[in-house]
Parts: sequence; structure tokens; C-alpha cells
Amino acid sequence: MMRFDTDWFKEISDTLTRNKSRSLLTGFGIFWGIFMLLAMMGGGNGLKDLLSSNFRGFATNSGFVVADLTSKPYKGFRKGRAWNLTLKDIEKLDQMIPELDVVTPLIADWGQNAVRGEREVQCYVSGVRADYVSVMEPRLRYGRYINNIDVSQKRHVCVIGKKIYNDLFPEGGDPCGQMIQIRGSYFRVAGVDFNAGNVSIGGPADETVILPISIVSSLLNRGNAIDLICMTAKPGKKISAVQGRIREIIARDHYIDPTDEAAIQMLDAEEIFSIVDNLFKGVNILVWLIGLGTLLAGAIGVSNIMMVTVKERTTEIGIRRAIGATPRMILTQIMSESVSLTILAGVLGILFSVFVLNIAELASTQDGILQAHFQIGFWPAVVVLLLLTVLGLLAGLAPATRAMNIKPVDAIRDE
Amino acid sequence: MLIELKDVNKTYFGAQPLHVLKGINLSIERGEFVSIMGASGSGKSTLLNILGILDNYDSGEYRINGKLIWDLTEKQAAEYRNKMIGFVFQSYNLIGFKTAVENVELPLFYQGVPRRKRHERAMDYLDKMGLKDWAHHYPNEMSGGQKQRVAIARALITKPDIILADEPTGALDSKTSVEIMDLLSKLNREDQLTIIVVTHESVVASVTNKIVRIKDGVIGDVETNPRHDASPFGESTKMK
Repeated sequence: MMRFDTDWFKEISDTLTRNKSRSLLTGFGIFWGIFMLLAMMGGGNGLKDLLSSNFRGFATNSGFVVADLTSKPYKGFRKGRAWNLTLKDIEKLDQMIPELDVVTPLIADWGQNAVRGEREVQCYVSGVRADYVSVMEPRLRYGRYINNIDVSQKRHVCVIGKKIYNDLFPEGGDPCGQMIQIRGSYFRVAGVDFNAGNVSIGGPADETVILPISIVSSLLNRGNAIDLICMTAKPGKKISAVQGRIREIIARDHYIDPTDEAAIQMLDAEEIFSIVDNLFKGVNILVWLIGLGTLLAGAIGVSNIMMVTVKERTTEIGIRRAIGATPRMILTQIMSESVSLTILAGVLGILFSVFVLNIAELASTQDGILQAHFQIGFWPAVVVLLLLTVLGLLAGLAPATRAMNIKPVDAIRDE
Repeated sequence: MLIELKDVNKTYFGAQPLHVLKGINLSIERGEFVSIMGASGSGKSTLLNILGILDNYDSGEYRINGKLIWDLTEKQAAEYRNKMIGFVFQSYNLIGFKTAVENVELPLFYQGVPRRKRHERAMDYLDKMGLKDWAHHYPNEMSGGQKQRVAIARALITKPDIILADEPTGALDSKTSVEIMDLLSKLNREDQLTIIVVTHESVVASVTNKIVRIKDGVIGDVETNPRHDASPFGESTKMK
């Protein structure tokens, strides 16, 4: 029977190279389709990575409550009244809403200076409890985070952000144990947080000095008042589901109209994340649609050209049939040509897109740290290759059937 | 009896049914050198197609070597053609993008003969045709006579029972025609090959040992021609 030896490949390469420009242009359709599909897949992933790097360290199932002036009169209070969230609210929410995992306060003090010797840098000060890590996970480069004992004993310790570390400790190295001065008090550096996410509470993470909340509270004479309630939902629960109850509890304690949404401002991070998520789901669908569409157009191009080729080669195929090729051999030959052309062009497309995505990855690398993964994975590439084979087979089907039905008697005689 | 046709009928069903072969009876022995003559439209091409298993017939019997050729699948037909029949065509029908030796190899390729062996045999046959030096030339670099000799080598390489030549000299000048016919005649004499030549030129037919005339779909007369007395391309037998 038929042998798949070097002659077989020679046979295919002969026919494909016989009309080089035509094969080239046909292959380009496939090449471009694959390139589009993979480049867009990689690009979409990269963009998603870039965007989500803004949220790095940030708990996605979190919610926040902020106090603002009341906008409705209630129980004898005029509207436009200022009020404060308190530590009591924290306790109450913690006790009364079982769906919440962590409820933790934050006090923010903006526009401070951190000083070390002759160096001075502007900073944001955040007072937090130890459980704040569940909301905003630090990426500690040195040392440790604020712990419960720091808070209860009002220890003068701090965790500094990356920019502050770079500015105050230009010599580098582990700064833990050294003192810096904020608001006239000295604090021992306990840790350095290298989190660079752009979404943060209080101020940018790299310009923030984190202190135990108890100290900030007494430094600012805040008493029980806090700026922000941060909370995370237990796994499987949603902040949005308990928002109403949170509002009720806080409103009752502070004599605020429960319907006054301006006074008790709530932010649901999950909502924002789901918007981003949906956006990228949409982008992904679009990528596949466009990529597959282009690819399909390429495959149809291959099919079309093969059709023309078969018509041109009627005599040749007739001769082959007359000297002993079975219809099946002819079918296999045309199919192999189609698949070879498709795979060859497709692999080139994969290589080119890997090359381009690699450049994109290099371009997005900062200080040796990769910001976003543009490159496609190995398995998606394999899947695409399989897809190509199937496409090649499908593209070859119609021309091959036509070739198979060529009767030697029709083809050979010139009359 | 190598070839036996019994009352073979063939009708082409078009807008107007055309009864082309009206009961052909013909037998050809192994080693015969036969020509089938007839004007165009006489049915000789159809007869050739049936003899070459390129076409099927409506009724009757066609046997090669006693084997009934009837109701074959495409695959069987291809196999029989490959093993039993070697074709030589008027327009050579070589594959243009293959060299002479590759063209000659092709039938063996479809038989699944290994590459090296195939190549060796093809070279042998080209040598026999005096074309060894032309083995790696493409058909468009050769003369008509050379191309036809390549085609004959291709027909011979599978060691078929029958060589079917369809107007083998139709595209050649008279000198080359004589050469090709001499070659066929020599193959018949020396290798005892059964050769059937379809032609409408009496000079070509006169080289063969038996002339079968076909007219309007029936065999007219069968003339044995052992002395090859018609002087080839002479005054009395002008090219038609």
C-alpha cells in the first residue's frame, strides 16, 4: 500500500512549491489568523495582568464603610450633621453579622512627614489592627507586620512602604530596628512592605507608614472615632448581601436615617472586581470570535485555492489514476497537501506570535520584575495546533472529494 | 487467450442515447501485436477505455487472462490497471513537474515498492529506452520522441500483461513515428509483450501483425499482416 516515506513528503513539497506565490499567499491567511488569535489571547491576558496588578494584595471580597455628612434630617437632628464611625461599630458588626469574616478599623492621617536623620519624605499614615492583613495583604520584604501586642501595648513600631524605605534608607539593607520620626514621635521600623498595587486604602501602599491603630488614635486624640471600617466576607458570602443590615446597625447607633445613603457610604470591592472580570470575559469572547473568524477565513482560502489547484491538475490526477492510484490515494494526497500547508503556515504563525508576545513581555518588565504575562502557555499552543490540523483536514475535504471523483477517462483524453 | 471480449455493448446516455459499441467480439492472444483501426466516432476510443478498465461496459463479457472484468470497485480497477495494463498515450501524459525517472517510478510508487528499488528499476527501463542520460530532465526539456519513450518506460515498469497504446505516434513527426513503432515492434518480438495500438493511420497499423478494423461500433474485419507489406509513409499510404 501507500508508503509515507521521504517521497511522500517530496510529493507534497513538490506540489506546494510548484506555485510558490500562490501557496505563500494562501498560507498567509492561516498564518495571519493564528497570529491574530494568539497575539490577541496573549495581549488580553497581559492587559488583564496589568490591570489586576493594580489590585495586588487587595482582598476581592471586601467592603468598606465611610462616614459622611448626613443628607436627611432624622429624629430631631438636622441634615448636614457630621458624625464618626467608632470602634463600637466594629464590635457590633463583628457580633451581629455572622457572614463577615474580619471587621477591622482604619485611621488615616495624610500629609505627614517621615524623618530619619537629615532625610525627610512625605507619607501617609495609617493606623490599623493586626487583622488588617486580611483586607490588604502586605508583601513584606523585611521584618514583620503590626501584630496584636503592638496594638494592645501601644508599641512605637511601624511598617514602611517601598518608596519611604528607598528614600530614608538609600543605603539599602534591612532597616528593621532603626528609628524614624513621625509627628515628633520615634518609631522603630518593624517591617518593609513592597506591595505596589495601585488600589489601596488611605494612601498609596508604597508611600504609607503603617502604625498600630492605638497609637495613631492617641496621637490624633481620636478617642473612639475611626475613619474607615474595612471588612471581608466569609468564603462563599457576599458583602452586597449584608450591606442593608450593616447600614441598619450603624444608622441606629448614630441616629441616622437608615435610608440616608450619602451619610453612610459603602463600597463593595467585589462589585468592582466583577465589573473588571466581566469586562475581560467579554474581551476574551471577542478575541476568540475575531481570531477564529480570521482563522476560518484563512481555512476557506486554503479550501478555495486547493479547489482551483485540483481543477488545474485534473489531467495529472487522471494520469495518476490511470497508472494505478486508487481514489483513496488521491484523497490522501490532496488532504496531506492541505494539512501540510495549514500546519506549516500555522506553526509559523505560532512562532511569530510567541516572538511578538515575548517582546511585549520584555517591554513590560520593570526592574527585572515581570509586570504582566503576555506569553501564551504551552498547552494553548498545542490546542491551537490541533485546531489547525482539524481545519486543514476540513479545508482539504471538498477539494479532495472533487479530486477523488475525477475519472481517468475524462482527464486523459485531449479530445 | 489473454483478452476475450464477448458481445460487449456500451451506450452513452446523454440527451440522445448513443449506442457506441454494438456487440464487440474480439480475442487477443498473449504476445500478439495488434492494431485497432477506425475513423473517429467509430467507437475505437471507447473500446480502448474498456480494454484499459478506464470505463465500464453495459453488457457482455470482458476477460483478461480469464478474469472477468465486471462491476469492479474503483480500488480494484486501479489495482488491475496498475498490475495488468501499461498505458501509452498520444499526448505522452507525463507529469510535468517530475523528472523522467520520477515519472517512470510513479506506478511502482503506487504499488508500494521501496524507493531505492523503484529508482533502480526505473533507471533500468530508461536505459533500455536509451534515455539514461535524460533521467533527471523534465518532460518540457525533451523532444516528443523522448517523451514518448519515457511514457513507454513508465508503461513497461510494472511488467504488465498488456500495453495499450492510444495513437502513440499522433503527436510525432513521421521519422520519430517510425522509431517509436519500431521500438514497440521490437518489444513485442524480443520480450513477447502483448501490445494493442489504437490508431487511424494505416502506416502505423501496417507495422503490427494483426489489424482489427472497427466501424460504427462493430468489428469490421480482422486482417493478419505478417509481412508488414505496406511501405511505411510511402507514396501509396499517405498520412490520412
